[in-house]
Parts: sequence; C-alpha cells; structure tokens
Amino acid sequence: MSSSTSSSKVYLKIFLAVTLGMGAALVLVRLFAWANDASGDTILSRVNEARQALPQIVEEPDDLVMAFGSSMTHAGFASRHFDNEVAKQGVRVKSFNFGFGGLNPFFQDYLSRRIRDAFQEKDRRLKLAMIEFVPFQATGNRWQGAQPVVDSFLTMLASPEEIWEITKEDPERGFQMLNILYLRDGISAEMVTHFFGRSLMEREPRSDTPEDEEAVKRRRELGDRLGELFEAEFPDYEDQDWYYPWQGAGPLREERSEETLTIFPQYYEAGRTQRRMENDRLNRISCCDIEELQFEEELVAGFIRVVENFKDFSDHVEVVLYPRNTKWIDYSPEAQQRLDEVLDRIRRETGVTIRNYQLLESITPDMYSDTTHLGRYVGEMVFTEHLAKEYAPLLADGN
Amino acid sequence: MIFNTPLFYFFFLIFIFFYGFVFLRQKPRVYLILVASLVFYGAWNYRFIPLLVGSAVADYFIAQAIGASTDPRVRKRWMALSLAINLGILGLFKYADFVIASVADFLRLFGYSADPQTLGLVLPVGISFYTFQSLSYTIDVYRGDMEPRKGLVEFTAALAFFPQLVAGPILRAQQILPQMHSIPVPTWSNAKHGFLLITTGVLKKTTADLLAAPAAKAFDSAGSVSLIETWTGVLAFAGQIYGDFSGYTDMAIGLALLLGFQIPLNFRVPYLAVSPVDFWRRWHISLSTWLRDYLYISLGGNRNHRRFRNVMITMLLGGLWHGAAWTFVVWGAFHGLIISATHVLGQMKALAPFIHGNSESDETPAKWVTFVKWLTTFYLVLIGWVLFRATSLASAIDILADMHGFGGALPAAGSVAGTILALTAGTVTFMHLMDLFVLKRAEAFENKPWLFWPVLILIHAICLLIGEPSNEFIYFQF
Repeated sequence: MSSSTSSSKVYLKIFLAVTLGMGAALVLVRLFAWANDASGDTILSRVNEARQALPQIVEEPDDLVMAFGSSMTHAGFASRHFDNEVAKQGVRVKSFNFGFGGLNPFFQDYLSRRIRDAFQEKDRRLKLAMIEFVPFQATGNRWQGAQPVVDSFLTMLASPEEIWEITKEDPERGFQMLNILYLRDGISAEMVTHFFGRSLMEREPRSDTPEDEEAVKRRRELGDRLGELFEAEFPDYEDQDWYYPWQGAGPLREERSEETLTIFPQYYEAGRTQRRMENDRLNRISCCDIEELQFEEELVAGFIRVVENFKDFSDHVEVVLYPRNTKWIDYSPEAQQRLDEVLDRIRRETGVTIRNYQLLESITPDMYSDTTHLGRYVGEMVFTEHLAKEYAPLLADGN
Repeated sequence: MIFNTPLFYFFFLIFIFFYGFVFLRQKPRVYLILVASLVFYGAWNYRFIPLLVGSAVADYFIAQAIGASTDPRVRKRWMALSLAINLGILGLFKYADFVIASVADFLRLFGYSADPQTLGLVLPVGISFYTFQSLSYTIDVYRGDMEPRKGLVEFTAALAFFPQLVAGPILRAQQILPQMHSIPVPTWSNAKHGFLLITTGVLKKTTADLLAAPAAKAFDSAGSVSLIETWTGVLAFAGQIYGDFSGYTDMAIGLALLLGFQIPLNFRVPYLAVSPVDFWRRWHISLSTWLRDYLYISLGGNRNHRRFRNVMITMLLGGLWHGAAWTFVVWGAFHGLIISATHVLGQMKALAPFIHGNSESDETPAKWVTFVKWLTTFYLVLIGWVLFRATSLASAIDILADMHGFGGALPAAGSVAGTILALTAGTVTFMHLMDLFVLKRAEAFENKPWLFWPVLILIHAICLLIGEPSNEFIYFQF
C-alpha cells in the first residue's frame, strides 16, 4: 500500500469520525429537546401563530387596527369588543391583538419588522397601531434576564437577510445562529443551561404572609369548572395560542354562559390572595425592577425602532401605557422621573402621541388578575371600551 | 474563531477535506496550513495578520543572519534586533498604555497633575504566545542550540499553526519546525487520542464556562458576599481558569494530532501539586519552561547566590506576561516569593525531608505529610488566583480579607450557597480525575471502540446541549 493511500485512509476515518460523531451528538441533542417538548414552535407558539395569520390579516377588507405589545396587551385588549364598540359610533374596523408575553422591545423590534414585511408585500396599511410601552419591560434587569434567549429568539424572529447581515458582521455569532436555527430547532445551549441552572439560582424573595389555603382550594375548583365550561361552550375550538376567529384575543362576554361570567370575577378574587400578590410583586421587582425602573438603553432604543417600523405601514401610530395596579405597584419618585424622561424621549424621537393610562380612574385594583395584568371580562372589557371611546374619533376621521 | 463553536467546526471540516484528500504533497500542505491559519487568525481581526506575518519574516531572516555570521558582535546585534522587534511589538500593543497610566499615577502621588493620552490600541489576540514562540527560535539559533532552517513559508506556517496560535502551548522551533518540514501522517491510534483530547478539552471548556457565574459573584459583585460564596468564587475561578486554559490546550494538542503533529503536554494535573515549585512544573508547562530556559537561566539561574533575585525577576515578568495590570505583577511576585520560600525552607535541615521528600532514604513521605503539602500549596495557589482575577489590587485585598474573616461582617449566605460550593468543588475534582484518566488509562480506553466512541459522542452531545459556546477563552487576552 502506498503512503498516500494509507494517508488517505486515515484521513477518511478522521473525516468520517468528525462528521458522523458530531452528527450523532446533534441527534442526541434533538432527541433530548424532543423528549422535553422544547422547540422554537412551542416556545414562541403564540408569536408563530400570529405571524402565520399575517397573510390572512392583510387580505381583510375592513380597515385594520393592531394592538401590539406584551402579555398585558394580550390580557387587556379584547379585539372584537373594540370593533363592536367603535362600530356603535359608526366606525367599521377589524382589530387584532398582537400582545405577546416574554418579548421585550429588542425582540419586538424584529417581530414588528416581520409584520411590516407582510403588510408591505401586499401594499396594505394599518389604519391604527396602538403600541404598548411597558416600562418594566425596558429595564436593565429585564435585559439581563433575556440574555440566555437572545440568539435563540433572534433566529426565530429575524429574517434570513438579517441573520446573514449578522453573519457578515460577526461570523462566529452568525454561524451560531444558523446552527440554532437549522440544527437545533431553535433551542440554544444557553437556553438549556439557563433552564436547568434555575434550580441553582438564589431563590427570589418570598412573602412571609401565610397562604390562604381556602382561597387556593376555591381557585382550583373554580379553575376546573371554568375549564369544563370552556369546553362545553366552544366544542369546535382549535387549541391555539393565537386564534384567528377571536382576532388574537379571547372570546366575548356574549359568547359565554352566565355561569362562566359569574365565576370569572370569583376566580380572580380567589387568586388575589395576599401572599400570591406579594410574591407576584416581589417577582416583578426581581425580574424587572418594576418600582425603580432603571432603564436599559438597548431596550428603550429597541422600542423606538418598533414605533418607527410601524410608522412605515400605518396611518396612525400611537404609544399606549396600560393601566398600572397602583394597589401593588408603586414607583419611587426617581422611577417616575426616569419614566417621564423616557416617554419624553420616545415622543421626541418618534413624533407620535403617547396616551398614558397608567392611572386610569375607571380601572380599579379588583379588575386585575395579578399585580400587572387586567382580568378577562373584568378590567379587559372596561379598558377596551375606554380605548374604543378614545380612538373612535380618530378612526372616524379617516373613514 | 473559538474551537467549540459551529464556525470552527465548519472551518475544520473544510480544512481536513483539503488537507487529507486534496493537498497530499508536503509543500502544498504547508501552504494550506499557512493560509488556513491566517484565515483562522483573521477571523478575529484581519488587520493584525501583517503583524503576525511580519514578526515571522523578521525573525526568519534575523535567524539566517545570525546563523551566517561567526562574529559574536554581529550575532549579538542581530539578536538584539530580534529582541527589540518582538518585545517592541509586545510592549507597544500590550504595555504602552499601562506604562503611561502608571507613570501618570506615580506623578500624581507627588502632586503633579498628569492627564496623559493613552494609545488605546487593540491587543492582537495571541500576541504574547507567538512573539515568545518566534523569539525562542532566534535565541536558539543565537545560542547555537539549533541551525537556522531554510523555508520562510514553513517557518511562518509553524508560527501561525492554527491549533496553538492564539493560546499556546508555546512551541519551540525545535519541536515544530522539523514536523512542519516533513509533515507526518497521523496514525489511527494517534488520531483516536486526538479525538479523546478534543473531547476532554470541550468538556473542560464547557464546565469552565459554567463556573464563570459563581466566580463572578465573588469577584464582580458591587459589595461583599458571604464567606462561603467568597471561597466558592475563588475555587470556581481556579476551576474556570484551569478548565478554560487546559481545555484549550487539550483541544489544540488533539487537533494537531489529527493533522499528524505532536505538541507537548502543557498541564499535568496542576492542582495536585505538593509545592509551589511542583505547581509550576505542572501548570502552563510551555511558559514555565520558556521562562526557565530563556530568562531564568540567562539571568544566571541558581548560580551566583542570586537565585532569589532571579526567581523574583522571572516570576514578576511571568506575571506581567499575562497582562498589563498591577494585579498580574503582584501575582507574579507572590509566586516568586512562595517559590523562593520553598527553596529556603528546603535548605533547612529540619524541614528538607518535609519539603523535598526523603529522597536519601527513598521512603515515601507519610500520607499526612503529602496531604498537608498539597493543602498548603492549593491554598497558596488559590490566594494567587485572587490576585490574578481581581479587577484591582484594592478589590483583591478586600476579597482576601473577606476570605479570612478580616473584612468585617459579611452578608449571610444564600440558600443554595452550600450546594454551589459542593458542585464547584466536585467540578474541579472531576476535571482532575478526567486528566488523570487521560494520562493513565487513555490507551486502554481507546482500544475499546464499543465504549470509546459512544462515550465521546455522549460527551459532545452534553457539551452541545449546555454551556455558553460563544464565550472566549480567558487566555486569548494574553
């Protein structure tokens, strides 16, 4: 055997060991993710479903309204109720709830570009974009907490061109993202590490107040009953996080039974135990600096980009601050000053109107499901009606 | 380009394809190594490629000139030029700002107002490694330890050889140039060992990245942390720097083996050292031997009753080699002191058997003696790591005080502090057990393919699953 033949034989073995070994290792990684039901689809399922609905949305004949924001928008804006309310004032629109939990403004920037792409592709415009600014989503704590998922979320939200741009600028990161996107099904190593490392993180401060076990039991029972009622009332409902027939929000009051509507306020009340609310507040302080609001430049700038993206395909863009549960969340004077400065900056740099409903009088603490989110059929309806009243004249002007 | 990232994997796959199947002759392979190494280096900052190549070209021709002359004065002048070029480059990029800032601080001590302009130059990755490597060639030729070699491309390829370019081991020209001149074909047995080393390296690096968080808690927190978290942080950093650096060199040696090259060991279970001298025989061996051969011995070594001075100079400069900061200087000085103290204590009759072992009687020291020596050494090494990792000397002093209870009242430990300490200690131990396994049982393991390959694949899967693969290696900054 010649030396070049034996050399090629060794290198063939090495080449095969490298490719097959790494291939097998990747298969094991995918198997692990699959066994844990972890994939890009499951992690951002509501976002993905909403994105998939965009081609249908842009074909809607009516003027389009979009409430874009966080889980507070998801919980606090009833799309079809809004449409019905403005219709009473002679305005015909179709609105959609684009509120997504877990997306800070950095990620929202990429999502809003995808929405813009879909609208511009069909040369369609939004009549009104109500973009929610959540102060505690733009803090340094929030940004730190998002670090383990940045690359993973970006692979799911960025376009191929944007990933290519990142690759050109930083090949190492770009290849990392391509690997996450094509070989790891959206699940990065950082994400897995963070998930399993949580048990080693310092426990968050917890309330000393004893739990009202009676209320917990009642909440569980009411929750179970609500589940049964939902199945009975919507036998054809397809299990989706973003459901087109409901325009991304939940069902309407008139679609629910009397029993459901009676149970909902009781269910929320049973959930607002002293201990649970204190823990929720402490969690928001820890994860999001909700009472001090030390803002993160990357996230504030990201929010400004979101507004600019919407301006590209919307007739009216406004920034909305959803009601704050003042019974539980208090800003320090410094936090209020920082918030005012950020709002001034957003107003100055984007030129859009900001409607600050944080202290809306018609919303009371019993209308929330926790320290931040409005409760369904409770605060959600009142706030949506308020928005409809506020925006109907603006929407009517253009008709 | 970091070894444990998809980009490097892609790069290496393309490289091995051309290296193993397309460029089968010696010369084209050397060219391929050179081009690939420059691409690898350029992935960080292509602007520094001329610096690397220029350094190689200069030392190549200087070595030729030294070799061609018999006049000691001429040889000396050429040697001085090589020193000036290499140390000049290093000084300009790595130490200029440090010197300027230190002079300004010094002047301020005497009431002079000084607000100097620093250069703000970006530090080329791996500069300390390749300048030392290049310098060793001209020194060897100057000393007559080797003949200058023909072949500029071979020399440049050897200096830029990508597996060890940015974080060592620091290869001697005598080790790498003959291999580059006649590239050996790897045996399958060597290749398997290479795969094993790559795998242990990736595992060590992944583990080291996980230790970064507890280390940062002790070193980067705004205020003090609890006693247990301070010790955990220092231990975690000991594990982090070991896993990070030895993980890199394991991968470097493993990758080189796949290409047919033999690179010497750079670490030998260092935290099992039983004296500071022993530690430096096990830690970053290529640097410690470089400093010994080219600096310590040049200063006179053990002779002239100047051992203490020579050790201190060597270790001070060794500390400074790691970075332009007073923390590194003090770290070097600290190691110089403990090495010297070991020598002094070893000369005392009563303590000599304890320090050196009873070599005259060939008796194995009692286990408790070895244990005490190990514990003392490990403690001193940990103290050293505080100086090495701390962001400033003041911070180092605070941490040292906190470790020993002199820093005033400390906050209470968190609820998981004990678990993290146990995991950290377990991780550092695991790394060493893995090293011992590779040193002593690798061959038997490699000869059981039914076990060898599944274990390697499983380890790679774990490392792909967790960790922070984009974290750079700590030693890249040096």
